[in-house]
Amino acid sequence: MVGAFGVGKTSLVRRFVDSIFDERYLTTIGVKIDRKDVSVNGKSLTLMLWDLAGEDDLAQLNVSHLRGASGYILVADGCRASTLEKAAELQQRVTEALGPLPFVLVVNKADLRDQWEVQGKQVAEYGWPTFETSAKTGIGVEEMFLGLAVTIIGRHAEREAGDQ
Amino acid sequence: MSPSEQLDLLATLGYAVFERSSDESFRLLGAAPQWLPAGALTEVFPFLDVFLPDAEEFWANPGSLSMLHSDFWTQTGPAGEDLHFCAIAVAGERKLLLIECAPHRFEQTREFVHYAHQTKLAHDEIARLSRELKRATEAKSEFLARMSHEIRTPMNALLGVAELLSETELSDEQSEYVRIFRRAGDNLLNVINDILDFSKIEAGQVELECIAFNLADVVQEAIEIIGVRARAKGLCLNSEIRPEVTGRLTGDPGRLRQILLNLLSNAVKFTDRGGITVRVRLDQDQPEAGTLHSLHFTVRDTGVGIPPDRVSTIFDSFTQADASTTRKYGGTGLGLAISKRFVELMGGRIWAESMPGEGSTIHFTARFDVAEAASKSPAPKATAPALGNRTLRILLADDSDDNRFLVRGYLRDTGCVIDEVKNGAEVVELFRAGIYDMVLMDAEMPVMDGYAATRAMRALEKERAAPETPILALTAHALKEARDRSIEAGCTDHLTKPITKTALLEAIGRYAPVQPAADRIPVTVESWLKPVIPAYLEKRRADVQKLRVALEQSDYSTVRTLGHQMAGSGGGYGFAQLTKIGEMLEESALAEDAARIRDGIGELDRYLMNVVTE
Repeated sequence: MVGAFGVGKTSLVRRFVDSIFDERYLTTIGVKIDRKDVSVNGKSLTLMLWDLAGEDDLAQLNVSHLRGASGYILVADGCRASTLEKAAELQQRVTEALGPLPFVLVVNKADLRDQWEVQGKQVAEYGWPTFETSAKTGIGVEEMFLGLAVTIIGRHAEREAGDQ
Repeated sequence: MSPSEQLDLLATLGYAVFERSSDESFRLLGAAPQWLPAGALTEVFPFLDVFLPDAEEFWANPGSLSMLHSDFWTQTGPAGEDLHFCAIAVAGERKLLLIECAPHRFEQTREFVHYAHQTKLAHDEIARLSRELKRATEAKSEFLARMSHEIRTPMNALLGVAELLSETELSDEQSEYVRIFRRAGDNLLNVINDILDFSKIEAGQVELECIAFNLADVVQEAIEIIGVRARAKGLCLNSEIRPEVTGRLTGDPGRLRQILLNLLSNAVKFTDRGGITVRVRLDQDQPEAGTLHSLHFTVRDTGVGIPPDRVSTIFDSFTQADASTTRKYGGTGLGLAISKRFVELMGGRIWAESMPGEGSTIHFTARFDVAEAASKSPAPKATAPALGNRTLRILLADDSDDNRFLVRGYLRDTGCVIDEVKNGAEVVELFRAGIYDMVLMDAEMPVMDGYAATRAMRALEKERAAPETPILALTAHALKEARDRSIEAGCTDHLTKPITKTALLEAIGRYAPVQPAADRIPVTVESWLKPVIPAYLEKRRADVQKLRVALEQSDYSTVRTLGHQMAGSGGGYGFAQLTKIGEMLEESALAEDAARIRDGIGELDRYLMNVVTE
């Protein structure tokens, strides 16, 4: 999970893993690792979820923490347009450092849609697979994680087929 | 301290100390801390290589560093709790790896970063609210402008028709009804103007002018305007400007006049006997600083006065001294609030002193720059020439039947010929005929608005090298931006509805051409020549001046040359008359006939003034 600070990365993970949402904002320091077992297309899969501290003026994202990742989730806050720009910047940095990994863009805080600064048109311009989520209500959260899981599995299958 | 003592100390401090063996495995040194789960290090912390990705390289070649720190990481403990760790690779004779379970340091770091994040989020929120406020303010301004326009349009018809009605034969009773009708309309208009002013101040959209003016003129104008009402109530109205006050200042005379009018108007309203005095003196509390002049104005009346507990609130918005005041005397209670804001913009303050039953004195101070001495006496105010017996042909564009009816009524006895259209496209079409002395142009019309129509007409004039026809915007848009927009589009002036008959006639008189359009000389030219015609006529207009100079100096040779050139080129461009005048000038120059040359120049001048191409 990568993105600017305060976009809801930790809350999305908590909603997905524990089905909990906490109104309090607790800054993530470093990395928080969680685990979730899911079933995708009838297959059991364990997702190790790395929730990375949001990038801010104090600290940059440590891209090396994504080494070995199968994919990543770019998270933006629909209420803050600057977080979408930050997500785009991070995508570029991750790609430069680690090559083209599967990823999805998440525009979070769909429960505050009437306050969104991020416009659908701006998001569409990137042409990335995108989900709108609300960690608060749970809307779109499971679909987003499973959507990325399916993409990752598909990528693995392609690679294996290529190897054979 | 021995190595074993060092290990004991590190264990006491809560570190688990591992040694990196040559077989790349990790061996726990010393006692295991309580928090350390049982098992091999790589099983307990399977992602160590991600948190310290450069550890192997560091141990092999530490360079100037002695330690390498990882970020914090959080993983779930045996009881489901969050445990916060960090790792330190230590270089030296032995390759050591220290793992720390650091809940306190983690919390301290988190609190610090959390505070920074909250601060940033608060700043972002303030910025967002500020943007929203700006948008809301713009929407409010737009709404006000729109409402002002929508109210002024019917008000124009209401007040105008009342004015026309008052000019007809009426019984005394009917005259009284019309008088009440007009007075109520005027009051309503004042309320609208007050609300507009106040809203603009609230939105921070008021900028004071900074122009030179005569203080005595401003005071006198305010006295004259209010004088009518004061005399009607039998009140004396006086003014006194102390001699030490500099008369010529730089500032916003319009807003100063508005403050004085507000205060005087209130004074007249609340005074039934006695009088009102305006005084201006230097502000004793503010010493002069350079050219800055602080003045103290007072408006004293002998009216009903203000109760002591209300004196301090009369300058608040929508506040009058007594709720019954509104019922008895009318008004929005905005006048004093507006005055207060204007005074503050002028760097001053406003306050009141009053004794119920004895009258009130409103004080205000304001700062002005002393204007540089005028190099010559100020130009006399332009007075509108009367229409006299000039028969003007006016093109009137307005989509409101009522407003066209009103203008027709205003101009009924002037002898002006009025052609009416309902949209901008029709204006442009009729304007092509080139027969109009003036255009009265509404701004908002269907099909094509007044601004676009004005631009099209100006372009047409330029193309034809024709003189500019006065175009007077006559709109219900009252804000300064609307005026700017009209002038920018090419209008000669901007008149605001509702307009009185006097104001309309005055404006028409001011801008009406001395030479009616009826005298214009239409000339048809070939279409391929049209692009060069403006420059050609411009040169001939320049010739007029050259000919006059030549004649004055008895330089017949130049007159002959210019006449010859004109005779040769005029007909070719479609101006046969220019050829004729040129021939006459050439002949007269040969004969050295100064009188005939003078006539020829006059004829040429008149022709060039009136010729329009088609």
